Amino acid sequence: MDFLSNTVALSRMQFALTAIFHMLWPVLTTGMSIYLVIVEGLWLKTRNPDYYRHARFWSKLYVLNFGIGVASGLPMEFQFGTNWAPFSEAVGDFFGSILGFEGAMAFMLEAGFLGIMLFGWGRVHPVIHYLATIMVAFGANLSTFWILVANSWLQTPSGGEMVNGKFIVSDYFQAIGNPFMLKSVSHMFFATLETSLFVIGGISAWYILNNRHQAFFSQSLKIVLAAAIAVTPLQIYIGHLSAEQVAQYQPTKLAAMEAKWDTSPAGQPADWSLLALPNEAEQKNTFEVTIPNGLGYVLNFQKNLKEPVLGLKEWAPGDRPRMVGLIYYSFRIMSGIGFFLAGLMLWSVLQWVLGNLSPEKIEKQQWLLRTWIFAAPLGYIAVESGWIVRCVGRQPWTMYGQIRTADAASHLPASNVLTSLSLFAIVYSILLVATLYFGSRIIRHGPNLELPIPGLDDQPAMETEPATFVPDQRPVEAQQ
Amino acid sequence: MEALRYFLPQVWFVILALFLFLYVMLDGFDLGVGILSLTSSDEDRRSLLMTSLGNIWDANETWLVLMGGALFGAFPLAYGTILSALYIPIFMMIFGLIFRAVAFEFREHSNRKAFWNFAFGAGSFMAALGQGFALGSVIEGIAVDEAGHFIGSTWDWLDWRSLLVALTLIQGYVLIGSTYLILKTEGELQKTHYRTAKLAAVTTLIGAVLITIATPVFYEAARTRLFSPPLVYVFALIPVLGLGLVWLLLQSLNREEEVTPFIWTILIFLLTFIGLGLIVFPYIIPTQITIYQAAAAPSALVFMLTFIGVLIPIMLFYNIYNYVVFRGKVVGEAYGE
Repeated sequence: MDFLSNTVALSRMQFALTAIFHMLWPVLTTGMSIYLVIVEGLWLKTRNPDYYRHARFWSKLYVLNFGIGVASGLPMEFQFGTNWAPFSEAVGDFFGSILGFEGAMAFMLEAGFLGIMLFGWGRVHPVIHYLATIMVAFGANLSTFWILVANSWLQTPSGGEMVNGKFIVSDYFQAIGNPFMLKSVSHMFFATLETSLFVIGGISAWYILNNRHQAFFSQSLKIVLAAAIAVTPLQIYIGHLSAEQVAQYQPTKLAAMEAKWDTSPAGQPADWSLLALPNEAEQKNTFEVTIPNGLGYVLNFQKNLKEPVLGLKEWAPGDRPRMVGLIYYSFRIMSGIGFFLAGLMLWSVLQWVLGNLSPEKIEKQQWLLRTWIFAAPLGYIAVESGWIVRCVGRQPWTMYGQIRTADAASHLPASNVLTSLSLFAIVYSILLVATLYFGSRIIRHGPNLELPIPGLDDQPAMETEPATFVPDQRPVEAQQ
Repeated sequence: MEALRYFLPQVWFVILALFLFLYVMLDGFDLGVGILSLTSSDEDRRSLLMTSLGNIWDANETWLVLMGGALFGAFPLAYGTILSALYIPIFMMIFGLIFRAVAFEFREHSNRKAFWNFAFGAGSFMAALGQGFALGSVIEGIAVDEAGHFIGSTWDWLDWRSLLVALTLIQGYVLIGSTYLILKTEGELQKTHYRTAKLAAVTTLIGAVLITIATPVFYEAARTRLFSPPLVYVFALIPVLGLGLVWLLLQSLNREEEVTPFIWTILIFLLTFIGLGLIVFPYIIPTQITIYQAAAAPSALVFMLTFIGVLIPIMLFYNIYNYVVFRGKVVGEAYGE
């Protein structure tokens, strides 16, 4: 139990624990905010009261998750100062600025308009309300942007150099547009969206399967499905691009993701590992199932590797990530879920095309609906696994190639960190259990289909509403 | 360029002070209402108290997040040193704010509200206590080496002076919370808070007087600063103005006015803030590291100023709009519906 007196290890565990728990809430609210923009927009456009009731029902789950997301997110920011003071001092010029931008541009926008979005239905004009909903969604996604800018910069530092232990920025925009930024932002944007879509889809499927409000929830299922047609394959593609950029910029991480100990040279085929039991002490996999010559196809869509793939043995044990098995399996779980959700989308679209998703027939699709319910938590698992690959795989660096995690931590008494870590473990577990408990209460209680519809007295303004948030118009058919 | 080296950190000192003031004022009444809820006699009253904050507590808390980010970017050294030195009070505040925030969401759906009521009140109290200890310790000074790194011990923040600041801050929050509730409620609930406001005004005043006396007596640095011209005149003026404002506040409470108590309280907060700012400036880690030593590179300060500076009026605008939309007395509507 050495780690109990090791401040660095405890601070790492605390950051990991708080990040893993915190992520659960904003992942849903960020993606769901876009869904709320869609349904409220559909309501304003079609004046079908069901869409209004969708907006009201789903925003109950939204606000539950939003509040816990805000609460659990607080320590994320302050931990940089409390537990990672040397790191904060070294990178504050850029990293701190970006966190400041997130606060000023994203959090404040979200928080400033959330009150109107939740409680303002009777107080402001529907168009103003819609504007507030859009601002909340915009703020949430801007937050994803800045966080991923900051994290990508730690993965691929650019726009300056380390001078005497402090990162001196020469070009702020180059630092923002660091090599990982674009693909990582896109990957996370689609991750929040995909997770939320399958949560909404799964809950809708649960209602349909239980013979409750089938027509109402087949609407939301179809909106979700329409969006998933674009989102699920795009996410797989962006995921592939993300793996490519890891291969290019972070060879140690790639080697750990593939549990690859020995280097494979370019121009030759290499086996792709499907299952393995990595043994770090002996620097080999004690057990392994491989697909012969598969790695070239996975990385480059061809038999032979374009670039050499370095094995972990190329680096001294202190210069490469540990916990290879965790990184290896997290990567496989994430990718597997990505393909599974795309498959579920294809199956559902097929049934839709065959006309089996109409309100009268949909309840017969029992296995499809059950699979949707099963898929509801998968997005979360994929997101968490992906972040484990991203951040555990970056070790031993906090800032890749520049600042080691061991040098980044504050010199604190281990007992302090152990105490706060234990409290976080207890409190966050309570928050998770309570969210699941109260969330399922909201779901069991169901939507209020008697809600009065707020008036729309100012009709011409409707025509100016952008329809760009609607990825697919087909759900409108459901009303006929 | 030389002028910029001084000017930019000063600008950021002022911006941070603005964010902190907005936080202390706005989340101050949230926390004050939370603390007051511990004394609420029944469930309906507590519901009203929480409803009065439902649409704004989150935005108010965001000023703290914003201040944290801006401090991180503008004065990275101070961010690391102060937060790691104040590890325990900072996490006391964070856990308090977590309990407070989740109580809003869970209480609404819960059948057993007592637990979440306690989380709301005790969380608010804990957050205020942590903030008070942190504020007190920063004013007292943090032990650092020449490079500005913390060299003190983990319990340095705890002594009777920081406790005095913490207790006074809690009284101040109760005061502004009471005056906010006078503004937002009516009837019996409002009457209760005329009484709590009067009580809190007196206890806040006692705390403030003790701190005002203790500061020059126990801190040499503060003494030399405050008793040399031109600051001595300002320092002499602040207590006089403060007493005047407290008198006006008590008058307005006696006349049972609705809006003015809140305004006088804000002015009292502002005056205190200016006083503290004068004691601290130009240090960011009292009493050794100045804002010029701890500042990020001028380019970083310009970079942040470009993006955050222009947003300040916009943020203020939509925050004010939010208050305008929800103006008037709170009515008993359930949170979340």
